[in-house]
Amino acid sequence: MVTCSADGTPNTTVISQVYYVDETHAALSFQFFSKTIRNVRENPRAFVCVFDIAGQAHWALQLAFERSETEGPIFDAMEMQIEAIASMTGMSGIFKLRAADIYRVLSVEKVPHAD
Amino acid sequence: MPFGHRVSGWRVGADHRTITFLFPDEFHARLLESLQQNGALAVTLEEFPSHETYQFKGRFVRHREIQDADLENVDRIRQRFVKSLRPMYPHAPEDVLKRFVSPPSLAVDFEVLEIFLQTPGPGAGTRLVPPMDR
Repeated sequence: MVTCSADGTPNTTVISQVYYVDETHAALSFQFFSKTIRNVRENPRAFVCVFDIAGQAHWALQLAFERSETEGPIFDAMEMQIEAIASMTGMSGIFKLRAADIYRVLSVEKVPHAD
Repeated sequence: MPFGHRVSGWRVGADHRTITFLFPDEFHARLLESLQQNGALAVTLEEFPSHETYQFKGRFVRHREIQDADLENVDRIRQRFVKSLRPMYPHAPEDVLKRFVSPPSLAVDFEVLEIFLQTPGPGAGTRLVPPMDR
């Protein structure tokens, strides 16, 4: 995930989960990186690249931050998935969802692998 | 608007102040335009399955064509990537996993100004270089 501060300084992070909310929104897991949330409050634009093993491609999403949720059905569903991801990747007890950050999806682009 | 570009490989420069990142064709779009516009670059590298992760921030120095040593570098990284993902995707064909690390087609040299720890846990976000007290 990539964000920028108001002065254009980029920040990149690896995130655990991009969650489908509806046709125009995605939720990103906020776990550790306070710089990301500071940036999107200054400059709401963000970029995320998703790794798709089954589809053999990456997906590039341009996003605009709308709000953070710390309770409710989206948060609960993501929290349960984070626990499953943590268990699969040996990070139980370390991965903890602090918020579900809701973004409006501005564009989606499939990035096929080069042959 | 921030843009992200996956890299296929990297190598620390002989001066220990620069890193060369190797970009595949499919992630060239807007890359040089963005770098030449403001020169600011941030790159996160994660080792899997340990999740040991670092973010490097700095400035674009130059770009160049790919050399044979770059291709060998990416081959090694591709093998390591497939080996680390195999426990999570035990039935995925080898060539499917290998294609996630595409052959590089552009090398970008980058001067590192800051390094941050991003390994998941309480220390995530700590600036390592220069140390936080500076």
